[in-house]
Amino acid sequence: MVKGKVSLNENGIEDTLNINDDLETIKSKRRKAALTWYMFLLPSFIGILLFMVYPIVESFRLSFFRSNGTIETFTGLSNFQMVLTSKTFWNTVWNTFFIGFFQIFLTIPLGFIFASLINSIKHGQNFFKVVYFLPNVTSIVAAAMIFQFVLHPEMGVVNYALDAIGLPTSTWFSDPSTSKWGVILLAVWHWIGFVIIICLANLQAISPEMYEAAKIDGASGLQQWLFITIPNMSGTFAFLLITGWIGSLQRFNEVYVLGGPNGSPARSIQTMGAFIYERGFTGFEFGIASAATYIMFIIILIFTFINLKVSKMQL
Amino acid sequence: MEKVKRFWFMLLLILTVAIVGCSPDDTAGDGDDSESSDDVVEGDWEGQTINVQLIGDFDMEDSTDPVTGEKTQGLQVIKDEFESQHPGATVEFTIMPWEGYTEKTQAMLTSGEADVYQMPGIADFAAQGVLEPLEPYIEEDPDFNLDRFIDNQVDGWKALGPDSDELGIYGLPFLGDARFIAYDKQLFDEWGVEYLSKYPTMEEVAEKAKQMTGTNPETGEQNYGIWFRGDWSSAFTLINLAEGQNGSWGSGFAWDEIEFNFDSPEMESGLEWLLEMQEYAPEGLVSDQGSEKWLTQENDIAIMLNQGPGDTVMPAYAQGLGERIGIAQEFKNDEGVGGMFAGSPITMAKDSDNKELAWEWMKFATSETVQQYVFEEANGMPAIQAAETWDSYAEVENLMAPTMEAMSTPWTPRYPWASSQPRFILTSEVEAALTGERSAEEAVEKAQRESEEWLENRN
Repeated sequence: MVKGKVSLNENGIEDTLNINDDLETIKSKRRKAALTWYMFLLPSFIGILLFMVYPIVESFRLSFFRSNGTIETFTGLSNFQMVLTSKTFWNTVWNTFFIGFFQIFLTIPLGFIFASLINSIKHGQNFFKVVYFLPNVTSIVAAAMIFQFVLHPEMGVVNYALDAIGLPTSTWFSDPSTSKWGVILLAVWHWIGFVIIICLANLQAISPEMYEAAKIDGASGLQQWLFITIPNMSGTFAFLLITGWIGSLQRFNEVYVLGGPNGSPARSIQTMGAFIYERGFTGFEFGIASAATYIMFIIILIFTFINLKVSKMQL
Repeated sequence: MEKVKRFWFMLLLILTVAIVGCSPDDTAGDGDDSESSDDVVEGDWEGQTINVQLIGDFDMEDSTDPVTGEKTQGLQVIKDEFESQHPGATVEFTIMPWEGYTEKTQAMLTSGEADVYQMPGIADFAAQGVLEPLEPYIEEDPDFNLDRFIDNQVDGWKALGPDSDELGIYGLPFLGDARFIAYDKQLFDEWGVEYLSKYPTMEEVAEKAKQMTGTNPETGEQNYGIWFRGDWSSAFTLINLAEGQNGSWGSGFAWDEIEFNFDSPEMESGLEWLLEMQEYAPEGLVSDQGSEKWLTQENDIAIMLNQGPGDTVMPAYAQGLGERIGIAQEFKNDEGVGGMFAGSPITMAKDSDNKELAWEWMKFATSETVQQYVFEEANGMPAIQAAETWDSYAEVENLMAPTMEAMSTPWTPRYPWASSQPRFILTSEVEAALTGERSAEEAVEKAQRESEEWLENRN
């Protein structure tokens, strides 16, 4: 064990240092530095504990009780059984996936095409970026209210346009067979700006040398797009696919504005989120709402896992 | 070591500040508890504070009414008046919007935030045991008499406590409300159709709606005979149609006693009637569309079912249509009863620290002073009979008189399932029928089956 050491300083003067003291000082400084950072982390950590961890744990506990907020009775797994055997719940699962599927598989290709077009023009790129991104910064609640007028059976511009070109009109949100398409239209309109911006960022990161080499080899514009652009976009597509699905499976705001908690008409646009809200906050069935929340969590988890595998995205 | 100690000291200090900062603001303190303190004498409310929760268009400060454009007084005048009548007392208000009021009320009750609540969902909360029964206060207070309220209003808000078998008083009527049939007299005149009678039958409404659907003979505009919401409130419209045929939604009040009648012949024929009426209505009623011109000069709808005073009385006068709009009663049974009971009572929290003062506020809130304020300044309907003597009432009597009558003849007690799953089940089935997904018979049978299953699981 080293107790002390004789050394020379710059001036050749002999110093005797106590290494133990030095070690103690270094340790103390490190501890202090670590503690300081913990202090900085503490407020957000308390916030996470109070507003995320606690509700998650409490919601899990509630899922085993029949609870109206104050009176609770332990019911075991009956809430899960009730939700899993409820036709209404599976109808909401169907609605959620139906709207999500068409939103994603319309928006990503469309957004990519628009992004490619914007990327290929020399002037006015920023103008188009702003125009297409504007819907995404609009509140989805406000946008949903506006869409009620846009898709109004008698006064809506969409029906007016359809009628003007001789196509049949629709009652949109008053018909269960078309109401989902109304929501899909709104969702595509709202999300496409985000898709375009993300795709543009990726497009501008593709090396121009690859295109130059392709041109020298005689590749046409379409061939360049198909064999250089698209393969280089795979990471972005995977990102949009996964974030898009997670957002779609959590859909609530717009369907609540358009169809209320029970997804009018005839539960045709009620999503899993709306089902949870209906049972929890309008019917005081917090146990059922909590069980449905955990089932929805598991559905999203499984589906995201599948998406990750399909898209081969690295976490 | 000194620095470590300093760290823990700082941590303790931060936590202490956080805990104190997040604690409820209880200015009354233990020593000021009205029930435990001996030194509080009658009329001396020194140091006592109550928090009153209100829902809707209330504002502490003076503001401009968005409908009438007139300057309205804020709640400050009410606060000043109450505090001057109760020296030493302080009343504070927590005002919330109607949006999500149920869950917000639940959260406030759980954390003991307020002493007095405006509470349309009284039946759900009384059953939780979080409300103070009011009968002892009413019996022991010689200054208070239930006769001040419009008929049926007190009965309508009766509810079951957690352990009681009989309905009790847990709330006093605070905001009145009613459902009625509104109609446009001008369209009736233009079509040469006689106005709706005071108590119309389904046949009368159907016949007149049919007559007034088509091209208006005077203006040449497309008119529609009738409109009703096919979504959110359609279950209540259907129930009223059953009541008009001497049927009912069912019976019971406590969940273990309730029996639904959703598939009764009256409900089925009521739904058939709605399907027929849909032909005389504009497209879009299932998504609350098609009635955008109602209460405008360009109105194109003759009869509006299931309307409420908040959206009708003052807005009609603000648009200069006060004399053009008429009100008929909803469909009543042979006993003269029918239509959804609505409005807002005020209730006292069981865990209130200042129950005496809370009771004083409840009496004050149902006095002429506050009720007149609610009517004249907050676009709310009064719940007391004395309203009929006010000048402000006389100015809008054309629409207020039938509204007051509607308030005295609804179905009581209120539908206990009105904010629970059976309401959404029935609404969805009415929508399914209106959109052609199911026949009327299939829809009411499905509503009955699903509601019974839900009830069975619940009990």
